[in-house]
Amino acid sequence: MDHALELHSVLSALTPRDLPRLHLTIRAAAGGDRDAFARLYADYFRMVHAILLGRVPRRDVDDLVQDVFLTVFTRLKSLREPAAFGGWLATIARNRATDHLRQTREQVELPKDMPGGDSIDADTFAVLDIVRQLPDAYRETLLMRLVEGMSGAEIAERTGLTPGSVRVNLHRGMTLLREKLEWK
Amino acid sequence: MEMKNDNYLWDGSDPPDEEVQRLERLLEPLRSDPPPLRLPDSASRWHMRAFVPLVATAAAVVLLVGVVWRTRAPQAAAWEVASLAGRPRIGASAIDTTGRLAVGQTLTTDAESRAQIDISTIGQVDIEHDTRVRLLETRAGHYRLALDRGTLRAVISAPPGQFIVDTPSATATDLGCVYTLHVDDDGTGLLSVTVGWVAFEFNGHESFVPAGASCRTDAHAGPGTPRFDDADHEFQMAVERVDFDNSGVDRTAALRLILDRARVRDAVTLWHLLARVRPSERGDVFDALAARVPPPSAVTRERVLALDRGALDLWWNALGLGDTSFWRQWKRPLPSPSTPR
Repeated sequence: MDHALELHSVLSALTPRDLPRLHLTIRAAAGGDRDAFARLYADYFRMVHAILLGRVPRRDVDDLVQDVFLTVFTRLKSLREPAAFGGWLATIARNRATDHLRQTREQVELPKDMPGGDSIDADTFAVLDIVRQLPDAYRETLLMRLVEGMSGAEIAERTGLTPGSVRVNLHRGMTLLREKLEWK
Repeated sequence: MEMKNDNYLWDGSDPPDEEVQRLERLLEPLRSDPPPLRLPDSASRWHMRAFVPLVATAAAVVLLVGVVWRTRAPQAAAWEVASLAGRPRIGASAIDTTGRLAVGQTLTTDAESRAQIDISTIGQVDIEHDTRVRLLETRAGHYRLALDRGTLRAVISAPPGQFIVDTPSATATDLGCVYTLHVDDDGTGLLSVTVGWVAFEFNGHESFVPAGASCRTDAHAGPGTPRFDDADHEFQMAVERVDFDNSGVDRTAALRLILDRARVRDAVTLWHLLARVRPSERGDVFDALAARVPPPSAVTRERVLALDRGALDLWWNALGLGDTSFWRQWKRPLPSPSTPR
C-alpha cells in the first residue's frame, strides 16, 4: 500500500506533457545514449547536489555527485518505472552519502565544514550546519530552495513529491529553521 | 502552521520575505555549477570485475586530470539574461534587469514578462510571455535549451548543428538561421523558420524546414510535414490532417487536395510525404512530385517506392532549394522510413 501511494504521488507530480519525454530520455539513456544521459544530469544535478550537501562535508559533494551519476549510468536499465526516476535517484544519493560517511568515519574523523580555503563566509557554514540538523525531508527541500534556487514546482517535478508535500516541507522546515536561528 | 509570505518561499513571487531573502543570500555561495560528467566508455565494461585494479588506476588518473582541469578551467559558463519586460524568473529568483542562467536552471516568464538570452558569441534567444526554458548544456560547439512551454525566437549565427532546442515532442537543431518555436501545454508545437534551415526531429522521425516554411509537431507523433507559409490555408490544413488525423475519409481527401494543389515550390512537402504516407498511397505522391520536379535519371519509380535512400537524396538535390552543402555536412536530409500515419 505504501508503495502504491508513493507511486501515485510520483505520477501525480509529473504533468502528462513531461511523462513521455522523461520516459523517452530515460529509455535512450539506459540504451547508452550519452546525450540523453547528459540531459538527465543537467536536469537532476541540483537535486542530487542539495541532498548530498545536507549530509556530507561540502568539499566532498562534487565528487560524490559524480559517483552518484556514474552509479545511475550503470544501473539505469534496472529502473522499471521511468516516472519514479527522481525518487530512485534521490535514494541512490542518500545511500551514497551514508556509505561515504561510514567510510570516512572508519578512516579518520574529519573536521566539519569550516570557512577558509575558499571565499565563503563563516555565517554561511553556520547556517548550513543548522539546516543539517533539520529532519531529512525539510533539510533537502530547503537546500533545494535556498541553495539551488529551485522553485517549489521544480522541486516537486524533480523529486517526484506532490506539490502539496513540497509546500508543507518548505513551510514546516522554514518554521523550524527560524526557531533555531533565533534571528531578531 | 501558517507562515507569512507563502508565495515567496514557494517560488520567489512577491511580496518578498526578508528572512528567506537573507537565507538565500547566505546560502547561495554553496551552489555549484555542474562540472562536465565523466562517463566510462561503456556501462558493461564498468561492471567487469576482472579489471577492477585497472579501473582503479584509470580512475586515479581521471581524478588527477580532473583536479588539474578544475584548478585551471574557468568557471562553468552561464548565459546572460536580460529582462525585456516585467520580472522574468531564474529558478526562484526574479530578475529586474539582468541575471545569469546556469546549466540546469530554469528561466520562466509570465503574462507580464519577457526576456532575452545572450548566448556567448553565437546569437540571441528572445523568450516570449508565459514561457519556460531550461539550460541543458553550454560548452564550445554544444548549446542546448529545453523549451517546456511557450514561445522563443532564436537568431543564431553558429555553424550548423551547434544550437539545439528540445521540446516535449521534437528537437529543433539549428542549421544557421532565424526561427520561432512555440510549444503548447499539451506538448504540441509549431516551428516557423524565417532565415536558413532547421532540422526537426523526434524519435528518429525527421523534418527539414526551410526559410518561409513551418512545421507542426505532435506530442505522440513527433514532427509533421513542412509546408510553406504562403501556401493556401486549405493546403496547410490538409497537410496537418495527413500528418495527425488517421480517420479514413478525411485523411484520404486531404492527401488528394495536397497532390492536386501543390505548387512547384511545395515539392519540399511532397518529398517529405513520400516516406510518411501508406505504401498504397506512395505511387500517387511520386506522380505528383514528378509532375512538379522531374526525378533525375537515376531515380526510378521502383527505387523511390522502396524508399531507397540514395534515390531520395538525389531527388532532393533536384528540388532547387538552394545551396545545401553547408547543412549536408551536418546531416543528410533523409526522411525516416517510419510507419505511415
